[in-house]
Amino acid sequence: MKIAGEQILSAPRQSVWELFNDPNRLSRLIPGCEKLNVLGPDQYEGTINVGIASVKGVYDGKLKLEDKRPPEHYKLLIDAKGKQGFVRGSGTLDLEARDGSSTIVKYAGDLQVGGPLMQVGQRMIEGASKMMLGQFFAAADAELQAAAVGQVARQGILVNFWRYLVRLVRSIFARA
Amino acid sequence: MFPASFEYHRVSSVKDALALLSQFGDEAKILAGGHSLLPMMKLRLAQPAHLVDIGAVHELAQIQEQGGRILIGGLATHHSVETSSIVKAKLPILAECAALIGDIQVRNRGTIGGSLAHADPAADYPAAALALEAEMTLENPGGKRKVKAADFFLDLLTTAVQAGEILTQVSFAALGAGTGGVYLKHRHPASGFATVGVAAVVTLKGTNFDKVRVGITGLGAKAFRASSVEKALAGKASDAIAAAASHAADGVDATSDTYASGEFRAELARVYTRRALEQAVARVKA
Repeated sequence: MKIAGEQILSAPRQSVWELFNDPNRLSRLIPGCEKLNVLGPDQYEGTINVGIASVKGVYDGKLKLEDKRPPEHYKLLIDAKGKQGFVRGSGTLDLEARDGSSTIVKYAGDLQVGGPLMQVGQRMIEGASKMMLGQFFAAADAELQAAAVGQVARQGILVNFWRYLVRLVRSIFARA
Repeated sequence: MFPASFEYHRVSSVKDALALLSQFGDEAKILAGGHSLLPMMKLRLAQPAHLVDIGAVHELAQIQEQGGRILIGGLATHHSVETSSIVKAKLPILAECAALIGDIQVRNRGTIGGSLAHADPAADYPAAALALEAEMTLENPGGKRKVKAADFFLDLLTTAVQAGEILTQVSFAALGAGTGGVYLKHRHPASGFATVGVAAVVTLKGTNFDKVRVGITGLGAKAFRASSVEKALAGKASDAIAAAASHAADGVDATSDTYASGEFRAELARVYTRRALEQAVARVKA
């Protein structure tokens, strides 16, 4: 499955880069992330509890960053497994300064998904990924805006889902 | 293909079901027809610790007409909607939509409330509920609240139904004179789900559109109203349909999978929107 897209975050590129390299802050932004530990330089292991409606599952995985070019690019390798299937693949993240105070985040990835998850969820996996990415970026934007004024944003699945809906509604009106 | 173990509770009233939901919270799921929940449980994608079976709450399966509205209980099966004389007479588009769901086994067991509350991105009913401006009744321990279809579908598998609530009734305004509706779908050959499904409901004043409502399912993460199509037709005659239908997929992040690419789905949405609108107009004129 291929995923690609872009999002605008309201912070300068350097701040976005720092956020995307800080496992402690990232772990609070990733929907359902229960832990994200540092294994070595640019290597992490973590646990995500994915829950969309009644479909729930715990996935353990490893994450590796490669080809780092601060503050604009890295490659991401992911290998995660849960009782209901596995997700493996790689992706790239590119940060482009939009202006002094906002950044365009471009992401692209190719994921292999297998196991029971694929049997019944094939139709849903892309939608679920998009939904989680949407929640992640909404949370990241809140985190960056709060950090800019020296605060820590409140994070949590419900708060982030709410932010995500607000962004969704705004984007719908922006189109109209 | 065995589900994880769970406690089974069979209730005989909505009140008892709500009590169990508030007792077990996140661990409990409502079981209606079981045609979405049970397959997920067999693959252990869903592992609720408690199933609350509302199958014996017979009043939830009723279909009745009251003051110009058609009230369909959440437990009404697709087959009973498809064959109901009230629905066939007053909301033929909904009977046709029900008849196109899955296969006969699914229609015999699956329920309208279950389908809407599950909010599968390719389910058929959501498109019709949006185009018919249905109103969902949600019951919770504090009472009842009503949610319009336009505010009901939030995202993939996510609706306005809160934890501890049950979708007990779906209410539709009967189609009046000068109004016609059609539901068309491109059927996924294996699952029977809608690759894309379009419900069009039009009201004509003379030869021009007075009101147009288009609901589309299958294209993105959730069913939606194609408001750009509706706006493009306001006050126009039916020769404006082709141009308006070209906006059917505007602004939607179309789903791609191994069967249909996003581009193909978007094209299906435009073509089926045009056909559904043309057929709906033909129905009003007939």
